[in-house]
Amino acid sequence: MNEPEHHHDEPVEDTEIVMWKRKMFWSWVLTIPIAAIMLSERLFGYELIEMPYSIYAILALGFPVLFIFGFNTMKSGIRGLFTFYFNMDSLIALGTVVAYLTGVFYFTGVVSDYSGVASMIMAFFTTGKFVEARARGRASYEIRKLLELGAKNSIVIRDGKEIEIPIDQVVVGDIMIVKPGEKIPTDGIVFKGESSVDESMVTGESLPIEKKKGSNVIGATINQDGILYVKASKIGKDTFLAHIIELVEQAQSSKIPIQRLADKITSVFVPVILVLAILTFLNWFLFFGDLSRAIGVGVAVLVIACPCALGLATPTALMVGSGMGAKRGILIRKGEAIQTMKEIKIVVFDKTGTITKGKPEVTDIYSKVKENYLLEIAASLEKLSEHPIAHAIVTKAGLKKYKKVTSFSVVRGKGVIGKIASKEIVIGNRALMNYKKIKYSDFNSVIEKFEFSGKTVMIVAEGKKVIGVIAVADAVKEDSVDAISRLNSHGYRTVMITGDNERTARAIAKQVGITDVIANVLPEDKAKKVLELQKFGMVAFVGDGINDAPALKNSNVGIAMGTGTDIAIEAGDIVLANSSLIGVVQAINLSKATFRKIKQNLFWAFAYNVVAIPLAVAGLLHPVIAEIAMALSSVSVVTNANLLRRAKID
Amino acid sequence: MKKLKLTIEGMHCASCASNIEKSLKKVSGVKDASVSLMLKKGNVEAEDSVNVEDLKKAVAKVGYKVTKVE
Repeated sequence: MNEPEHHHDEPVEDTEIVMWKRKMFWSWVLTIPIAAIMLSERLFGYELIEMPYSIYAILALGFPVLFIFGFNTMKSGIRGLFTFYFNMDSLIALGTVVAYLTGVFYFTGVVSDYSGVASMIMAFFTTGKFVEARARGRASYEIRKLLELGAKNSIVIRDGKEIEIPIDQVVVGDIMIVKPGEKIPTDGIVFKGESSVDESMVTGESLPIEKKKGSNVIGATINQDGILYVKASKIGKDTFLAHIIELVEQAQSSKIPIQRLADKITSVFVPVILVLAILTFLNWFLFFGDLSRAIGVGVAVLVIACPCALGLATPTALMVGSGMGAKRGILIRKGEAIQTMKEIKIVVFDKTGTITKGKPEVTDIYSKVKENYLLEIAASLEKLSEHPIAHAIVTKAGLKKYKKVTSFSVVRGKGVIGKIASKEIVIGNRALMNYKKIKYSDFNSVIEKFEFSGKTVMIVAEGKKVIGVIAVADAVKEDSVDAISRLNSHGYRTVMITGDNERTARAIAKQVGITDVIANVLPEDKAKKVLELQKFGMVAFVGDGINDAPALKNSNVGIAMGTGTDIAIEAGDIVLANSSLIGVVQAINLSKATFRKIKQNLFWAFAYNVVAIPLAVAGLLHPVIAEIAMALSSVSVVTNANLLRRAKID
Repeated sequence: MKKLKLTIEGMHCASCASNIEKSLKKVSGVKDASVSLMLKKGNVEAEDSVNVEDLKKAVAKVGYKVTKVE
């Protein structure tokens, strides 16, 4: 049995959250009596425990708070102080230990007792960490679900028997049996059976996809109604899901330019605060001569400083953003793209496979010879090419036997040339005919007629003479019109680029609402055209990850379209797992919303420190209030990141 | 050149992540290191000669533990 899906919908209790919760609970159990002792006198003028016994009590209760429940914080903080790799914990450790020691030195008569403050700081610190860890857990909820999406087991046929094995023992070629309601264990090809499959969890495609013999299926998607026998084709790191996870992880570890300043500050933050706290202490001690006050202010400076808010501002917002994207099949590979996206003015689309379905079909044949003969020689040549148009012609011909072709060659972006029974056959566009000096003027009117209706025309010549033309149409994707009209209405300049001729390209562009067309572009020149367009503004290029890789790279933001079963993990700053153009609109909206959230977070984190630290230095904040403010600042940043989910991106 | 993915335990703060990054980058042969607090993972780009144990030590030095290397 595979893992039933509902297991994955329950939020996973993170060990980190559990740890902080425990620490928080016990810290408060001991800190509440301490607070009662401290406050009873101040508020009610009534000593719960008489002096100096109250100090003994506070020290006794405070010891476990600091050194048992706060052990990890102390250890890491003190290690930081000794190795000069200062961290957040160094500030808390130093602040609480100093405060605690005032209780001990009270008896020497040099300082008044602050020791209760130490426990309160630690209690609020653990509370802040608990709330923050929970909020961080929420921020990474979708991504964690994605990481846990893979199937654990698979039923396979081995030696004619059905056996259940762990997923890592499945090998390529295994026949896996997937029952209704179960997860498809790994990527494969349907070998037997028919069913519909819910792929929403990996591609964001909400409608179930029909699968039959020969269909590709994706691991971790859910089989709906029939039994499927699937031949495993990809395992482990090569699967669709593994690629998605790889992309998501890349995004998290990529740096966004706006974060750089925050990172620089974070890395010197703690030592700077340490120095500042010492200077503050000296200032109060030397100029005002009040040691107790000087210690109190120094501790407040130590605990108010919060590098965490600064450090969490970007990663949490990015995490929420990429989770929202992943749910829709939008994978942000480079964090930088989020920042660049708001500058984009021009969106360039490749035509075939991006605006259109990329599955051309032969629609018309105009022939001077017998239609069957034309198709036979055309299909015999095209059989040797891998181009989608070639595939359409081969499918249309449906030959059982092909003619023998010699000296075959592909002229990239133009067509194919070969010899059948010593006659040279040339199949391709006008450019190829011109190049081979073949006259086609008799066919001009019929070619133009096809082209005006958005069809691509292949001219077939036998021995320097045109014998007919084959028109191929590639249907526009259902949502292309909607997606492009939304981009147009948002003020983007939309451009279509294609190797096709001007007329065909214009006809397709008109169908989807694009006015800017760059036609007759050889595949290798697309990247150059992108550079030219950049004179007018930042360019996003939308295309497939394989043929358009250079153009994707040259653009300011490259958006690589998936084909449904494959995703290009090396090309594109943003990768769409499904092939819908609405994904482009969503990706743009999502990037902008995420970047806005990052900016907000960074602003608050900076503002907090800029306001709070001077207040603490000036001695205006009680250390406990300082700690509460610190805890609230990092919690508010993470909570604000979670609010990104409210952004409308669809 | 090789790319390694470390799973790191014990981080709970942004300055932790930046300390680990700094420490990893000091290992000779390490070209680039980036640590994600959210994923509890670090990506290291290093010369082939770099020893995994040295990376683990660099992480341990600043107080954290590598639990998995990929």
